[in-house]
Amino acid sequence: MEVFRKYLGKISLFMALFMALGPGWSPVAQAAMVSTGDMVAAQQVQFDRQQLISALDHPEVQAKMAELGVTDEQVRERIKQLTPQELEQFEQQLAEAPAGQGVVGVLVLLFVVFIITDMLCATNVFSFVNCVQ
Amino acid sequence: MAGLWLAMLVAGCTTTTAWPTATDQGSPAVGNVLPAYHRLETVPFFSQQRYQCGPASLAMMLNSQGLETTPGQLKQRVYLPGRKGSLQVEIVATARAHDMLVYPLDGKLHSVLKEVAAGHPVLVMQNLAFNWWPQWHFAVVVGFDASAHALILHSGTDQASPTPVNTFLNTWARADNWAVVILPPDELPASARPLPYLSAASDLESSGRLEAAMDAYRVAAGRWPDQPAGLLGQGNVAYAMGDRAGAADTFARLLRRFPRQADGWNNLAHTLGQLGCAWQAGEAQRCAAALSPQRFAATPPEVSGQASRLCPLPVCPVPAR
Repeated sequence: MEVFRKYLGKISLFMALFMALGPGWSPVAQAAMVSTGDMVAAQQVQFDRQQLISALDHPEVQAKMAELGVTDEQVRERIKQLTPQELEQFEQQLAEAPAGQGVVGVLVLLFVVFIITDMLCATNVFSFVNCVQ
Repeated sequence: MAGLWLAMLVAGCTTTTAWPTATDQGSPAVGNVLPAYHRLETVPFFSQQRYQCGPASLAMMLNSQGLETTPGQLKQRVYLPGRKGSLQVEIVATARAHDMLVYPLDGKLHSVLKEVAAGHPVLVMQNLAFNWWPQWHFAVVVGFDASAHALILHSGTDQASPTPVNTFLNTWARADNWAVVILPPDELPASARPLPYLSAASDLESSGRLEAAMDAYRVAAGRWPDQPAGLLGQGNVAYAMGDRAGAADTFARLLRRFPRQADGWNNLAHTLGQLGCAWQAGEAQRCAAALSPQRFAATPPEVSGQASRLCPLPVCPVPAR
C-alpha cells in the first residue's frame, strides 16, 4: 500500500495527461499497443455524444430549437465539436439537475443557455461556447 | 451518532419519496421487477471498532463472496489513523487486490435494490452530517422492505438495521450517491451496463490482476457481443501474459467481427511484429492508419524473431491503393 501511495501522484499525473490528450484527439500518432482502458474511454465519449445527439429528436427539444431559430444541424454540429471534457461537463450538469425534472427539460434549458451565451457573448457558463463577435 | 439523528430529523421534514418501481426504468422488462421485500442472509456482520467502518464494511463485502478476511486484516490496507477513516480509492484498490471486480453503480436507488434482489450486497458511502461538516460513513445494504419504506443496512455497530429510505437517500446524496458492488470477475452485476463494466474490468487489467481481468472480459464479450472492448481486452491480457500467439489470434477474431476497429488493427500489427510476421504486421499497421489516420501512422512496427507459425491476418475493409 505504501508503494501504491508513493506512486499515486505519478499515476494521477499520467491519468491527467491521458485525459487531457485523450485518445482520438492526440495529434501524435500512437506507436504502441492501445490499452483496453483507452479504448473503453474513447467509446464512452462516443456513446455520450450519441446520447446527446439522439436527444435532439425529442419533439420538445425540436420545438424549443425552432422557437430560438436554430436548426437541428447547427446544434448537431456543436455537439460534434465538443471535447471529452466538455461532454463530461454536460453530463455532470444533467446528473446534478434536480430529480423529477425530465432529461428533456434539462436539455432544453441547457440549449437555451448554450445558445444565448453563444449569441450574446454575455456569460461564460460553458467553457466550450465559442463567443462570436 | 448525533449526526445520524439530525439527518433523520432533517429527513423527517421532507416529503415521502416514492419507492422505485419497474416503470421508473421504462418498460417493466424481465429483471426490472423488484420484489417487495428481500434480505440477504449470507452477508456476515462485523461490528465496527471506533471510526473503522471502512475495514468492517469491506470485510463484510469480501466475506459475502466467499473470501476469508477480517476487519483487523484489512485495517492496515484501508484505514488512515490520521484521518480516522478510509478512502474510497483504497477500499476499491484493496478489493481489486483480492481479485474482485468493483463495479460502481449509477447512483440510482433502483440499481441498489436491483443488485440486492440479485443477491449482491451493495457497499455505500454516506455523509451522516452536513456538507460543510461531513461525517463520512461506509455501510452495506443487505436488504430492503418496500412496505416499511426502508433499506436494511449493516452499519456501524448495528446489524441488519432498517433505515428509512428518506434518511438513506439524504445521507447517500451528500456522499455523491457512491455505491459499488464487489463481485468475482466471472459474475455480472445485475445493473451492469457494457462500457462501465468494461472500464471496471480494465481497472483489474491495469492493476496487474490479469487472470481476473481475463475472466471479466470473457463475461463481457459473452453478454455484450456487440462490444469490441471485451475481445480487445482478452487480446491485451494474453499479450501482457507473454502469450503473443494467443493475443494475435484474439485480435484477429476481434477484427473478423469488427473489421473497422483501428485499435485492434494497431495491436494486431504490434503483436505480429513480435511474432516475426513482418509482412502481415506491415499490412495490419497500414489498415490501422487507413481507418484512423489521425491516430495511427502507417510505419510498420518493429519486427523481432522469425515467423515460426501462421500469422493471422483478417481482411482489411479499406483496400490498399
